[in-house]
Amino acid sequence: MKRRWILILIALIFVLAISILVSIAVGSTNIPLRTIAKIIVDHKRAFLSAEETIILQIRLPRVLLGILVGMALSVSGTTMQTLFKNPMADPYIIGISSGAAFGAVLAMRLSPTLVPLMAIVCAISTAFIVYNIAKVGGKLPVNTLLLSGIAVGYFLSAITSFMIFNSGEGLHQVVFWMMGGLWGANWDRVEIIILPICIGMVILYLFSKDMNVMLLGEESAEHLGIDVETLKKIMLIISSIITAAAVSMSGIIGFVGLIVPHIMRIMVGPDHRILLPTSALAGGILLVLADTMARTMGEIPVGIITALFGAPFFIYLLRSRKRLY
Amino acid sequence: MLSVEEIDAYYGNVKVLEKINFSAKEGKLLGIIGPNGSGKTTLLKVISKIIKPSVGTVLLNEFDISKMGKRELARKMAVVPQESSTSFSFTAMEIVLMGRTPHLKRFETEGLEDLEVAKRCMKLTNCSNLAERQIDELSGGELQKVIIARALAQEPKVLLMDEPTSHLDIKNQIEILELMKRLTDDRLIVIAVFHDLNMASRYCEELILLKEGKIVSFGRTEEVLTSENIRNVFDISTSIKRDPLTNSLSLMVIPKKKEKEKIKESLRIHIICGGGSGSILMHSLDEEYEITAGVIHELDTDFEVAKALSIDMVSEAPFSPIGDERYEENLDMIRRSDIVIIANMPVGFGNIKNLYAAISAIEDKKEVLIIDETPIEERDFTDGEATEIFKSLREDGGIFVKDMHELLDRLENY
Repeated sequence: MKRRWILILIALIFVLAISILVSIAVGSTNIPLRTIAKIIVDHKRAFLSAEETIILQIRLPRVLLGILVGMALSVSGTTMQTLFKNPMADPYIIGISSGAAFGAVLAMRLSPTLVPLMAIVCAISTAFIVYNIAKVGGKLPVNTLLLSGIAVGYFLSAITSFMIFNSGEGLHQVVFWMMGGLWGANWDRVEIIILPICIGMVILYLFSKDMNVMLLGEESAEHLGIDVETLKKIMLIISSIITAAAVSMSGIIGFVGLIVPHIMRIMVGPDHRILLPTSALAGGILLVLADTMARTMGEIPVGIITALFGAPFFIYLLRSRKRLY
Repeated sequence: MLSVEEIDAYYGNVKVLEKINFSAKEGKLLGIIGPNGSGKTTLLKVISKIIKPSVGTVLLNEFDISKMGKRELARKMAVVPQESSTSFSFTAMEIVLMGRTPHLKRFETEGLEDLEVAKRCMKLTNCSNLAERQIDELSGGELQKVIIARALAQEPKVLLMDEPTSHLDIKNQIEILELMKRLTDDRLIVIAVFHDLNMASRYCEELILLKEGKIVSFGRTEEVLTSENIRNVFDISTSIKRDPLTNSLSLMVIPKKKEKEKIKESLRIHIICGGGSGSILMHSLDEEYEITAGVIHELDTDFEVAKALSIDMVSEAPFSPIGDERYEENLDMIRRSDIVIIANMPVGFGNIKNLYAAISAIEDKKEVLIIDETPIEERDFTDGEATEIFKSLREDGGIFVKDMHELLDRLENY
């Protein structure tokens, strides 16, 4: 690996660590760094102070969930942009968000505790349906995939909107859920999604060299010995799974999966061997910081923050570097 | 050696290739030519396993490529596409290094050896200076050199190219083609689709001529590139000559004769010309009149043109003065014509007899039109003899016109 890459990774890990600390310290009660250090170092002494409860049971799981969701969305966004060779692609492009929202609305009618489960089931089913609509013979033409994703997404959104419209007050909660947020964070949720997201990201990373070659075009990739159709399926299935896992726990957080890959492409270049890990780290950082802000501003949906502060930063990067890719 | 045996291929229900048989050897540049839609690109795609043929096999050194894995094939065969997408900003070196992909294991990154191969290939294609440039900043010619370097970095035995120069200007075309020629050594089979027949004839030792998915001709360039073959496949008339400068066949398209009714068919015109002075004249008059010409020296441009237009003419051996026999034949032809035109030709001792023929045409009461664009003194290489004849032509009733336009106007009025 190039030295420059290692330096960038170390820098990002350092920034992520700082972000975690800040996020743990800041909130409705500000906790001094020294107390945090003490609690983390010897929390086995079980001196169940209020501060310890806040840190270990509330803020830490929330930070970890934020990191996981941010990483999953950014890595999935990078993968989708490469798969579709389209800068507008994001993790939700094949209708996963609409599927998740549909599941969430159904669940809220039954029991709010079922929301994550129903969201992930419906999100993955949607991806599966879209995949099968787009498949022709053994092949997966990306344009058909893109369009069928959009069509299925609109269809599900229509049903979801209709259900919300008909429900009166009852489903207003779901509107907040659809804006995305880490309110429901707890250790159980972290435990559920940590494995699928981490394993998924590792699998995608293993194909990073192949994804580079994919950028040359499918036929050129084929000529370089890549099994393009298999690679496309792997990219699509894995990124759908990690996106669905993230969405089920946090709702539909926009912007992260679209913009973080672009920011990192501007900063480290298009090579997936560095682009994927840096996008993951930057996605984690962005979401943790945005969520900290969302908490201190009175629990507003984090999607609002990511777009509100991320977009101007992105525009600044666009203007200062002439090229997007 | 690459052998293609009995290939049939379909797009859906449409047969696009039929009974394709040929073989390509190391060290010879093999070109594929043919009209649009004749199956050139499809043939390349079959060879590179992008399209599966319904019947037939492609053998590389006796091994069936359909039994090879993708990576294994990519180590043996590289493809340079017509155009490459450049939307993401890798550096040229990174692009060339991607050519090493089939040689790397999944978790392996490019090592020093791969870097050496990449550098060597870039040197070979003259693009080492571009190594650190972003590919989306490169010009078409530069990009194509980088893409060829990438193909070479695969260290293939076969290099396939699909119209590798079709988007390039003439200087870059030549550079890429010279490069291809240089690359075709004893270890590499190069097969390329060509659009430009002259480029194909200049750079390929062997050609495949395709028409509607079938091979019309396959063999050495001079066997394939004949006027008959080209007319059969492209439906155009051509004049194919060996270019003295490049020693390769050069092909010129002859405008298709319009199937116009010859309104003035009864009018027979005899043209006295030489040194290229009659070429345009013959072209423009041949559509409407019965044309004859003479005496023209063989190898003269006018001789070639008259031959290409199948104009009846009297010709004399190159560089010889017009002999009595030919002179008489010419007079016979003049007698059978209604009008005689003397083109704006230079006159020397070799063709001065043509002017005497014109004098006897006037004596025969023929209409003699003389194009007097360049003053005769300037094109008289007979120490004044031609000038004298011109004088008597004028006195005896020859009609002098100042250029071809005036001539055509006059002819209109007959």
